Amino acid sequence: MKVARENLAWQKHQKHVPTIDEPGGKLWGCFRSCFLQSAAPYTEGIAYKILKNDLGMDLREAPGHTSCGAIGYHGDVSNVETQMVVAARNFSVAHHELGVDNLFSFCVTSFANYTEMIHLWEEEPELREYTAKTLKETTGREFWVPHVSGGRPSVVHASDVFFANRHQLAAKAKYSLKGIKAVDHIGCHYGKIFPGEAMGGVEFPQVLVGLLEAFGAEIVDYPERRHCCGMGFRQCAFPENRDYTASSVYKKMKSLKEAHPDCNLMLTNCPGCTVFLDAEQGTIKEVLEEEFNVSVLDYAQLTGLMLGYDPFKDCGLNAKAVLVEPLLDQIGIPYDKSKTAEERRRPF
Amino acid sequence: MGKLFNELKEDILYQHGMNACLNCGVCTAVCPAAEFNDYSPREVMNTVQSEDDELIIELLKSDKIWYCGQCFSCKTRCPRGNNTANVILALRRLSIRYGYFTESEKGRQQLFAKRVFGENMLKRGYTLLAENITPAHFPELGENWEYYYEHREEMREWWDVPMDLENSPGSHRVIPEKDMEELRAIYQATGAIELMDSVEKSMEKKLGSKKEVEKYWQTWLETGDSRNYEIKDNK
Ligand code: SF4
Ligand code: SF4
Repeated sequence: MKVARENLAWQKHQKHVPTIDEPGGKLWGCFRSCFLQSAAPYTEGIAYKILKNDLGMDLREAPGHTSCGAIGYHGDVSNVETQMVVAARNFSVAHHELGVDNLFSFCVTSFANYTEMIHLWEEEPELREYTAKTLKETTGREFWVPHVSGGRPSVVHASDVFFANRHQLAAKAKYSLKGIKAVDHIGCHYGKIFPGEAMGGVEFPQVLVGLLEAFGAEIVDYPERRHCCGMGFRQCAFPENRDYTASSVYKKMKSLKEAHPDCNLMLTNCPGCTVFLDAEQGTIKEVLEEEFNVSVLDYAQLTGLMLGYDPFKDCGLNAKAVLVEPLLDQIGIPYDKSKTAEERRRPF
Repeated sequence: MGKLFNELKEDILYQHGMNACLNCGVCTAVCPAAEFNDYSPREVMNTVQSEDDELIIELLKSDKIWYCGQCFSCKTRCPRGNNTANVILALRRLSIRYGYFTESEKGRQQLFAKRVFGENMLKRGYTLLAENITPAHFPELGENWEYYYEHREEMREWWDVPMDLENSPGSHRVIPEKDMEELRAIYQATGAIELMDSVEKSMEKKLGSKKEVEKYWQTWLETGDSRNYEIKDNK
């Protein structure tokens, strides 16, 4: 039987994430993201509400969990040894203090970083030994490795958890994306470092497309779909380097608009993409006087909108460069029209 | 085969990042940094494979290794399973350990990386903090961001993600001191503190004094552009 290339790739890159209807699918440990908490905290806020209220999950995170430190790893202030022991500490706290077996992170760089450390421990037994020993010496804690996806050593990303439960979420949706053109932008650190750990692989990633389709959207394609947003750690953090970020966003948006002028919705799963794909559209508008008006939403923000949460108070669409109201109108989501756009965004 | 190359070869990131390069240029073709800068991952792979310390030192002193955005697009596409982004990480550590990073404009930005990502981690347990995203440094976030930045405590309450609460789970919480001590001990034992210290020391050497390092830092804080500090080339 002839199998489409797409299906072969899909079969190879399936990973199993327990849904709320399966054993273990309701109790999760989670790691917040330092990027999201500093640049877009509301995205974690809405993700929490959905996972707890709509999916009925028991989410646990310890006060003593630290950030994974991977922005410092890719921003050159720590070593791979540092990352291994910090990861091991967070795993150990989750398992031994909170009693959780399944873990997800809200940041794709954390996801990649934890995945990288788990791979290193699997491939280099002496690094695993080093980690367990250093963890014990520095913190007194016991080494533990999570096995989330299909029982093999692994962690998953929060968007994987949304994807796994997409049908349950779509069943609760008050609105639909029928007639709306949309496209995904997968975070590089979700799909490119370990393509085997990405839902659907790097060629045909399903994690966001699956969610969009569950809500009824029409998926479009464009040439620069897999081009990085240009976040780049040292690039996005330092103003003098942000020409790189802006150039990358320009390249992407131009390519999308040439292929699909009427696509105004881009779904993301990385904090960097979520913030900069939006913000740099503002820069481009100012510098080049070109407007793209593509609303860049995080998977949790979009799900929140579909479930009927308030676009501003709950989904946090306050501080975006691109006005979100045209998209809300297109979908048919109501909001207080007696207020000005500014009043809606500035409650105090 | 030089001493520096030997040190590079010892690095697990190099070992996992370099199998054998066939010089096909696919990495450069997909690399966003190569598109916008004078940078080529293929060239980096060729240079390190020369095993020639002089060429490697030249690379470590240049802007080139700092252009990589760590997107790993190269890793996905390399037909030989190489990983330039990992090799770049190994090269950057080498450049910092030997102080070569101070010889390039992009390299000197390591002072900001250290004082933002590194010190945040040691003080608060996060690489990034809400107060870092100042409207002055991030004008593209727009006017709503300015409002939000000024009202960040109330806005976070409003969004149900309160900040700076002690001993509680949640976004931007204060991590208990005993956990912070564990984290600092890890940074110490794994060489991260040493790596960060070498940034300060090498910058002091390059700029002439601690005072000049502070001037360089202030210039960046105030103008968001380190190029406004003029480097007097003393060596
Ligand atoms: S893609 Fe791989 S083999 Fe080809 S030039 Fe780049 S590193 Fe070498
Ligand atoms: S990780 Fe670095 S070298 Fe590789 S494609 Fe991205 S920017 Fe280029």
